[in-house]
Amino acid sequence: MSWSDFRLRIRALVFRARVEKELEDEVEFHLAMARRKHAAAGRSQEEAARMARLDFGRIGAVKEDCRGVRGNQVFETALQDVRYALRSFRRNPGFVFTVAGAIALGLGLNTALFTVFNAYVLRPISVRDPYSLYGFTWTNREGRGHAFSWAEYQQFEKTNPAFSEVAAVQYLYTRVDGRPLQGQLVTGNYFQMLGVGAAVGRTLMPEDTAEPGRDPVLVLSYQTWQTVFAGRPDIIGTKITIRGCPMQVIGVARQGFQDLSEVPRDFWAPLTMAGRLQDGPDLFGAAHPERLNVVGRIKPGQSASSAKAALFAWSRQITSQLAEDRKPVGILLLSKATAIPLTPELMLVFSPLVAAFGLVLLLACTNVANMMLARAMARQREIGIRLSLGAARARLIRQLLTESILLSIPAAILGLAVSQITTGGALRVMFATVPKDMLELIHQVPLPLDWRVFGFMLLASLASAFLFGLAPAIQATRAGVMLAARGEFTLDIRPARLRNGLVIAQITVCTLLLLACGVLVRTTMAMSTFDIGFRTRAVIAMNIVEKGRTRVVDALASDAGVDSVAAASSIPLDGWVPGANVSGQNGSAISAAYNYVSPEYFGMLGIPILRGRNFTPAEAASGIPVGILSAAAAARLFPNTSSVGQVIHLSGKPAGDVRIIGVAGDVVTCCIAFGKDAALLYLPTVPSAAQRALLVRVRGEVEAERARLDARLRALAPGAVDDIHSLDQYYAAGIYPFRAASWIGFAVGGLALLLTVSGIYGVLSYSVTQRTKEIGIRVALGATTGSVTGLVLKQSLRLAAVGIGLGLPLALGLFRLLAARIIFMRVFDLAVFTGGVLLVASAALAAGYIPSRRAARIDPIQTLRYD
Amino acid sequence: MRPSRLDLLQGTLDLLILRTLQSGDAQHGWAISERIQQISQDVLQVNQGSLYPALHRLEHQGWIKAEWGVSDLGRRARFYRLTAAGRKQLLHETDNWARLAAAIGRVLELA
Repeated sequence: MSWSDFRLRIRALVFRARVEKELEDEVEFHLAMARRKHAAAGRSQEEAARMARLDFGRIGAVKEDCRGVRGNQVFETALQDVRYALRSFRRNPGFVFTVAGAIALGLGLNTALFTVFNAYVLRPISVRDPYSLYGFTWTNREGRGHAFSWAEYQQFEKTNPAFSEVAAVQYLYTRVDGRPLQGQLVTGNYFQMLGVGAAVGRTLMPEDTAEPGRDPVLVLSYQTWQTVFAGRPDIIGTKITIRGCPMQVIGVARQGFQDLSEVPRDFWAPLTMAGRLQDGPDLFGAAHPERLNVVGRIKPGQSASSAKAALFAWSRQITSQLAEDRKPVGILLLSKATAIPLTPELMLVFSPLVAAFGLVLLLACTNVANMMLARAMARQREIGIRLSLGAARARLIRQLLTESILLSIPAAILGLAVSQITTGGALRVMFATVPKDMLELIHQVPLPLDWRVFGFMLLASLASAFLFGLAPAIQATRAGVMLAARGEFTLDIRPARLRNGLVIAQITVCTLLLLACGVLVRTTMAMSTFDIGFRTRAVIAMNIVEKGRTRVVDALASDAGVDSVAAASSIPLDGWVPGANVSGQNGSAISAAYNYVSPEYFGMLGIPILRGRNFTPAEAASGIPVGILSAAAAARLFPNTSSVGQVIHLSGKPAGDVRIIGVAGDVVTCCIAFGKDAALLYLPTVPSAAQRALLVRVRGEVEAERARLDARLRALAPGAVDDIHSLDQYYAAGIYPFRAASWIGFAVGGLALLLTVSGIYGVLSYSVTQRTKEIGIRVALGATTGSVTGLVLKQSLRLAAVGIGLGLPLALGLFRLLAARIIFMRVFDLAVFTGGVLLVASAALAAGYIPSRRAARIDPIQTLRYD
Repeated sequence: MRPSRLDLLQGTLDLLILRTLQSGDAQHGWAISERIQQISQDVLQVNQGSLYPALHRLEHQGWIKAEWGVSDLGRRARFYRLTAAGRKQLLHETDNWARLAAAIGRVLELA
């Protein structure tokens, strides 16, 4: 396209009226000259004019050819369509508002979801070249990732074949002045590798990790500086005591950097400080503890798959000395470009939410499609005339689609507002309802509206425009030209079938969503009334830093408010219990979770010893190999004999023979969602043993006691208590996600019901309007008010019946799939299914009520006079 | 009796328009059409219907330029003028035409 062509095209588009006038004038001038010539040759005025026109040819066609030269027809017809659509919208603003509102609801909900998804999964983290960053580990036969020892990391750094830069990191949780802080111990090159500078002071340097234990310094995150330390300008040089070790703040990382982890970190400290900040064997010592995670920048030009292959070979080689069951069998290479990498597992977790929200948008689109169809039917006459005058069907469909797309613009704008309100509201609800102790751990991640969110909105609104616009457009332009020519503009179309189909689809989806919501609520209810097998009341659990253990244990033992003290390697309901392979001498073998507990544990939590006996204090103190099985474990290991007195063999981390001295009642140790432990083995311990959490039963009100104990212990042994929560809080935190999910379910189900009711209402009132004459005749022939009302209600119920009939098997299939994962879920819950069906049926009746009343009021005399 | 008229060969209208404008004076569509007929002694009949689309096409290609002016009789008219690019194009097309005519002539004589 040459410059003059481009210029003229633009001119024709922008100054359309002027260019048209010029064309008009030019042709008129020519005709005038031609008339003059013919007149000069002696013709009469009329004859001259006729001959001039004759010479010129079809004026309209010539003009059209001239317009064709501009090559702007596509734009021009589009503009024409837009103008036409806007004109018709202006006549009916209520329609525009209803459509935009319905779509905005669905769109807003989905955009809210996408905004969150974007913030975590799509938005690259704020570092240099995030897409070359990968976390690396190898997996063993159980599919677990490997944590690296310092020696392994050093070898990795020197010899690995795929990364150009690597760093080791280790998570560190602590509390400062009673406030949880989550930190990361990192190698000195960490900030340089990420290209992250400081807002104030400096970030960590390789010199800071030159020697173990030498540099008690830390870097705060910008957000933590602002919120926890109120943005104090004199923060540099301040000492913060972390787990009893005073650390000096040397800088604040620049704004926006929150680490590579999914949860933002509050501070970073040199990995070389691990020995002073951490319990257990020295990271750099001879025990070679495996604690480190590695991240790195993959070499330029290296693909993830070739890196994987090279890393696998490398891993096999450096582990050639290890036992077969500890050798790597796979490589995990996870992108660190976003807070959460986009993996198939993640998609699987997200998919029910996406499906539910997507269905709501679909419902909204169906509603609007029905409205568009009704509108197109009302314009049947106009469309019929245009078709019979030679308008191409494609052209008419395009015009109707233009209307849909135009409608989706206000819908998108409204939808953005809806999404902002939704995310804001959801966050407020979350902060208001989340268990108190959980709240401290929640970092609010910024939810930016970036180009991805806007792109999503654009695509989703266009897609919905097509969804709600295309079917009505195709349907409405189907009128036969012959019929239209005869003046019969309404005969050929059977929109009722499409309209009913759309409503039935709505009812199906609505049934599915309501049943899913019902099952979710019932599952949550089942979970919250589920007997976990022990008492949480008045028990407080705490994790202790080893340095302060003796002082803490002594203080608790002598505390007047403390009834008893127990120890456990896993706090019940904390979400994690380690497991081992257990075999009996009768040849039975199971994999069982194990928990080291002190004898007080059973009494404190009210766990009954069903057979045999509890650990004696002597057994607990000496760590003699005796054990107590949970009833379920006992039944599985020794189905036919008494388990007390048997000797079992453990292989795995704790290994050796253990004599069973008792059987305890079944409890939930891991997490409520998984139900009672399938098999649990208790092993003896005491509160003074390392790596044991402490549980205390208090006499007073539990929260007040928690605060009192926390303050007392902090004064006595600063930094010794890592965290301290009541078991009630553990319980609440375990239930909370399901409660939150059922609230979301309520919202989605309610919205679905609302949309469906309005959809049924729309279809029925339209059908009543269409059947006015028929109903009038019925009334004239003696139909009673009741039978007319019944006519409409029956139609509504018929639709509902088909919709429900389709929805039920879908729901059953879906629940069968889900039930495999959630133990509290019942596939066929009679209460839910009865309730759901009744709800949908009564919604259909309610939606039919007003149209049916209108039908009953039809006056036969007026109706029959109608034409 | 008028001599019998020939319809223009495809594509030659552009050439004729460019040639008509070669003198340098700006001319309106009517004048161009009259001029072509007059010079060809009424043998070439310019289809007035295709004249204007052709003019607009040439304008879009940048070979002629249009401006509004006043005709000899005091009416507002759209005048076309050859541009530098158009002048080049005319040379090119004239050349093409000459070669084509010569080639056809040769074929007619010798075949």
